[in-house]
Amino acid sequence: MSRRLIIAIAGTFLFCTSIYAQTIDDGLMIPKHTLFTGDIYTHDSWSQYWEGTLKRTNGNLGTVTTQTNTWSANYGVTNHLDIIALTPYVWTNASQGVLKGQGGLQDFTLAAKYNLIDAPFTNYGRLRIIGVVSGILPLTNYTPDFQPLSLGLGSKSLSGRGTVFFQAPRGWFINGSAAYTWRSNVKLDRPYYYTNGQLYLSDEVAMPNVFNYVVSGGYLKHGWMFPILFSQQRTLGGGDIRRQDMPFISNRMNYSKLSAMAMFPLPKLHGLMLQVMYGHILDGRNVGYSSTITTGLLYTFHLERHRSKI
Amino acid sequence: MVCAAIFVNASCDKTITPQEDPAPLTPAAADANAGNWQMIVMSGPTEFPVAAPAATTDPAYLAELSSIQSSQSAITSTQSTSIQYWSSGAVVRWNEILRELVARADLPPAPLPNGTYPAPDPANPFADPNYPFSNPPYAARAYSYISVAEYDALKAAWYYKYQYNRPSPAKVDSSIQALMPITDLPSYPSEDGVLSGVNTVLMELLFPTSVQEITEKAAEERQAAMLSGKASASDIAAGLALGQAVATLFVARAATDGMKNATGTTAQWQAIATAVAASGQIPWHTLEIPPRPPMLPFFSQVKAWMLTPTDIIQERPGPPPSTSSDQMKEELAEVKSAVDNVTREQAATVYKWNDGANSVTPPGHWNAIAAPYINAAQFSEVRTARAFALLNMAMLDAAVACWDAKYTYYNPRPSQLDPSIKTIIALPNFPSYTSGHSTFSAAASEVLSYLFPADESYFEAQRDEAAMSRLYGGIHYPSDIQVGKDHGKRIGDYTVRFAQQDGAD
Repeated sequence: MSRRLIIAIAGTFLFCTSIYAQTIDDGLMIPKHTLFTGDIYTHDSWSQYWEGTLKRTNGNLGTVTTQTNTWSANYGVTNHLDIIALTPYVWTNASQGVLKGQGGLQDFTLAAKYNLIDAPFTNYGRLRIIGVVSGILPLTNYTPDFQPLSLGLGSKSLSGRGTVFFQAPRGWFINGSAAYTWRSNVKLDRPYYYTNGQLYLSDEVAMPNVFNYVVSGGYLKHGWMFPILFSQQRTLGGGDIRRQDMPFISNRMNYSKLSAMAMFPLPKLHGLMLQVMYGHILDGRNVGYSSTITTGLLYTFHLERHRSKI
Repeated sequence: MVCAAIFVNASCDKTITPQEDPAPLTPAAADANAGNWQMIVMSGPTEFPVAAPAATTDPAYLAELSSIQSSQSAITSTQSTSIQYWSSGAVVRWNEILRELVARADLPPAPLPNGTYPAPDPANPFADPNYPFSNPPYAARAYSYISVAEYDALKAAWYYKYQYNRPSPAKVDSSIQALMPITDLPSYPSEDGVLSGVNTVLMELLFPTSVQEITEKAAEERQAAMLSGKASASDIAAGLALGQAVATLFVARAATDGMKNATGTTAQWQAIATAVAASGQIPWHTLEIPPRPPMLPFFSQVKAWMLTPTDIIQERPGPPPSTSSDQMKEELAEVKSAVDNVTREQAATVYKWNDGANSVTPPGHWNAIAAPYINAAQFSEVRTARAFALLNMAMLDAAVACWDAKYTYYNPRPSQLDPSIKTIIALPNFPSYTSGHSTFSAAASEVLSYLFPADESYFEAQRDEAAMSRLYGGIHYPSDIQVGKDHGKRIGDYTVRFAQQDGAD
């Protein structure tokens, strides 16, 4: 395989979408001194959401749309270590009611992806085990207290991830990846808040940690990739949105999501890849019943003349 | 690296202490004459007589003391924590608890599939929607009833304390430890008994779905008073009976204060809209989808504390700018510009003062502002109760007066006249003129400036910030804010004038 490919997963991290896992949770590595970079556009919308476990519509929101434009870069420091950076710009909008959509830079992601094991596995294929450490840092001082139209949650976080990737010689592959995310407390602009059955006389909100995983399978050969992905997020604490309440940053936001993706090199444009993906939430709690369309245009730069083969 | 820095931050203890942590109360003055301070609702301190206690040499009383001794020798860590909690002063603690109950109940009914909204039903409080919907007027009334009832009941308790002069168990018997600060304040009848009695009766009336929690809190307070050596069983029993008796006066007042009719009927509020339209003005209408009935259109008829119904009408501000006037066009443009160009600092004040659904409401926010000043002043329990009573009477009066203006003029919100005006907080579902935040805050600032004159400029800055935040949020015109502040100041001054002659200064 001369070209390494990227799986992009648009993670619905709340009501607002963030390109959390672009290239972070797949089983692929970028060759040494190669930069894989480009722009990814995501359109996420929902007209129904789960208020706790109750699925409902809200006439004062109508359809909530979150568009995200993310600059993505993935650089192969060595053949076994990739550094990944993501910078998303987010716009939110509600189609009904009087609430004002927001726009601005959201959260910067920086990840180090290390290939721990890369070896033939039995006679049937190749096994790769990858560890990833990633951090998220809000780029701007946006208010997180205007859900579901805030740009994001305003929390710093750190994730540890493990990925197992198996590929058969003919191009079929399966991938499983799981992460645990520690999230920092968030400061609000107000001196008190009520959540999870309690009034807190503080401006600081404890953000519960998050577990998520994704399993995918599909075809990968000659720069073409067609995976189907199933992902789940479990927030390890937090309260439900109460009846007719607004969502809150520390809510227990859970979901299951099914996505399909296609990624392929554009003919006659050497090094340029097009990525298209569609995902839909299957079930959730305190999140939107959203559908997500992602398109990306990514280019491979070879920064070293004689790159090593892996 | 960045990751390492984040990790350190993310991995540290995330626990948030939910309550304030005020200093233990050791009152600066005993306020021995509080029994003679002017009552608000009670006819006088002896309206509910408290029988003389047994002598401190009486065998029954000595048995109470030995019971405290044995309880103290087997004290649990939970009990110690509870003593610590209540040692900050029970009036302040009950105020915190009340704010929590208000926030819990501050959710509007959800629409039914047919597009109508069910009304919370006091006869069936646990049904969806829960009763009550503790919106700002409801909350203002709740804060005031509980604060005033505590205040009147404590004045009566102080009257009997200094009539009977029975010391605290820890003062009578040196083998009983003082596990919280215990002064020479006579302990019969016990202020903790009084407060637990007042709060169980009134909180259960006002927040019936929280009955179990309230009952437990009240029992915990009484136990902490006893275990700490502050009050004996008979001190507490006499206080409890007095508190419950005083509370019944307030239950009776609440039944006939006009709150029951504050919602009104569709025909009644449509009549207001029709009259406003007939006068050539565009009447308010709800912008919620599906259309929601206006919030408590007849709250103006609720009985105020310091103003008569005639006073309310006399203090009513003049009309807002005509909906067809150039001034209204200018103010609309000003709102649009303010919210479209809001700075991060301005937005911070909008969210700080949002006090929308699921909140302690603006009156609760001002209670939260007052609490640390009251604690720092180390007021006696009765003087603490006075401070909260004055503050909350002024804010209930402000709610009545503001709602009178809102439903007299039925003035549209900015987003109604100019749908391109989008807001950065939820739009309150009642008419615009005048601003409730401005009125509440001005009345509260007047009272707190009277109580803590050295900090007047701080309270006024908070008032101005609260008021202006409503312009930055896109939900109020400049006129709503300026007129609301002037109005609220005049309303608050009624309470200040009462306070200046109530015998406490």
